Amino acid sequence: MAAATSITKEYQKFTPMENETDTEIKIEDLWVKFPDKNGGEPVTALQNINMDIKQGEFVSLVGPSGCGKTTLLRTIADLQPPSTGNISVRGKTPREIRLQKKYGIVFQNPVLYEWRTVRRNVCMPMELMGLPKKYRTARVTEMLEMVGLYNFGKLYPHELSGGMQQRVGIARALAIKPEILLMDEPFSALDEFTKEKLHEDLQTIWSKTNKTILFVTHNIQEAVFLSDRVIVMSPHPGRISAIVDIDLPRPRTLATRDTTEFNALVSKVRNSFEGV
Amino acid sequence: MGKIKKALLSKQMVIAYWVLGLVVIWEILAVIIEHTKRTPENVLPHLHQIAQSIFSKDLVNMDQTALQIVLSNTGITLQRAGIGFLIGIAVGYLLALIMNMFSWAEKVVFPYLMIIQMIPILGMAPIVLAMTKDINKSRIVIAALLTFYPVATNTLAGFKSVMKEKHELMYSMAAKKSDVYKKLLIPASMPYFFTGLKISAPMAITASILVDTLQGGGGLGCMLSQSLKHAMTIYVFWQIVFLSAIIGIASYYLMSVIEKLISPYKKVGR
Repeated sequence: MAAATSITKEYQKFTPMENETDTEIKIEDLWVKFPDKNGGEPVTALQNINMDIKQGEFVSLVGPSGCGKTTLLRTIADLQPPSTGNISVRGKTPREIRLQKKYGIVFQNPVLYEWRTVRRNVCMPMELMGLPKKYRTARVTEMLEMVGLYNFGKLYPHELSGGMQQRVGIARALAIKPEILLMDEPFSALDEFTKEKLHEDLQTIWSKTNKTILFVTHNIQEAVFLSDRVIVMSPHPGRISAIVDIDLPRPRTLATRDTTEFNALVSKVRNSFEGV
Repeated sequence: MGKIKKALLSKQMVIAYWVLGLVVIWEILAVIIEHTKRTPENVLPHLHQIAQSIFSKDLVNMDQTALQIVLSNTGITLQRAGIGFLIGIAVGYLLALIMNMFSWAEKVVFPYLMIIQMIPILGMAPIVLAMTKDINKSRIVIAALLTFYPVATNTLAGFKSVMKEKHELMYSMAAKKSDVYKKLLIPASMPYFFTGLKISAPMAITASILVDTLQGGGGLGCMLSQSLKHAMTIYVFWQIVFLSAIIGIASYYLMSVIEKLISPYKKVGR
């Protein structure tokens, strides 16, 4: 039934009234409710979410814990079913997109397979897709060069620092050329220096690959530094309280963080929270 | 002073104290038992006597020295224990897979596993012997029975220890169920599987020796009981006791070596 709904929406989308051909993700009136453990009223994790994400856009979801930002990402990733409402990704359901292997996911925890070397970790999704070995080897090399880990391919995950592990995770997610990269607080466990380095690297990777990136974080500076748009979410119930356009010039560098424009945008995002 | 204290409490020294203590207690008991002397031979000989008996050329039965008797009976016991061990691994692993795939299977099968495991091996051995009517088959069955439970439970625990995110990653890549097992669950559960093997390998050998004692027909256990009943020299008994201990420990280390060979990554403390 969900598929039928989405086809209807798709049909509507291509009516001449709207010009949204470059919309990647469209979310309409999305609600997610979790059943209460003690049998009481269900808890509303997401309330009336509406948003559009354009193709190639870098969008951050920022908010305090309990605001539903991770739930929203998981719903888009087809890891969490919506209670009501509709999500369409390129006119298809999240499930269809997942089955077509068009998502790359990076979690807070790098989630590497500790019995596999760095190279074989990056290779894993391509093995699952049954891609030929020669292509896989070449692609792994390409990905490791991109994240600056070419010389570390033969090591095992526990021999790497946290920052390097997260790079492996990013290389793995991008190896299968996903259309959309979903990142759930990928840098929150890293120290400040590593984080700043990875912010610049991610920016470079993004501009090279032209992926749509949805980035979940509770760090306002991080969100402002990386994004084209910051979606501010507030808790109890989880909802969108503001959408802030970030028009800072790219490429952004360490110096960008010291500009008044940057700090003004950080304040703007911070002041958009409700009821915290 | 701190250095001396540290050296005296080091791992090697602790082992040395432990061995020394054992030797002292052993010798005291040997002396006491020597003086009570009701049997032709000292049931608890001095350690040097046991050591001597290993190299002694005296024949203890028609044509074999004590050591020859022990070694010629080791093969038969170890072979049966080994076959039973392998069968136990296969059955245990299969059960773990089935219980992980179907939660109803876990609910149905697990209580039976517990019950089988709770029956004392001393009670089970005669029943198995009566059922198979063959000492060799009994050795295999008992070794397998003791092996499959640790393998099944540990492997199942290994499957369940896999973090939710690793499953979600597989899900997000639309992995087939067979790939989830092949590329995630089976490799992830290897350390647990080997824990099961390390527990069950010495147990399979012990059980096989125990089954030997039930009936004549060779094997370490058979010699053990004959020796204790003075059908042959008591030194055979003690040689077997020490040899069994060594084999048990060796079987444990053999499992560790195999584990290191097939999983070259170092275990991460998680």
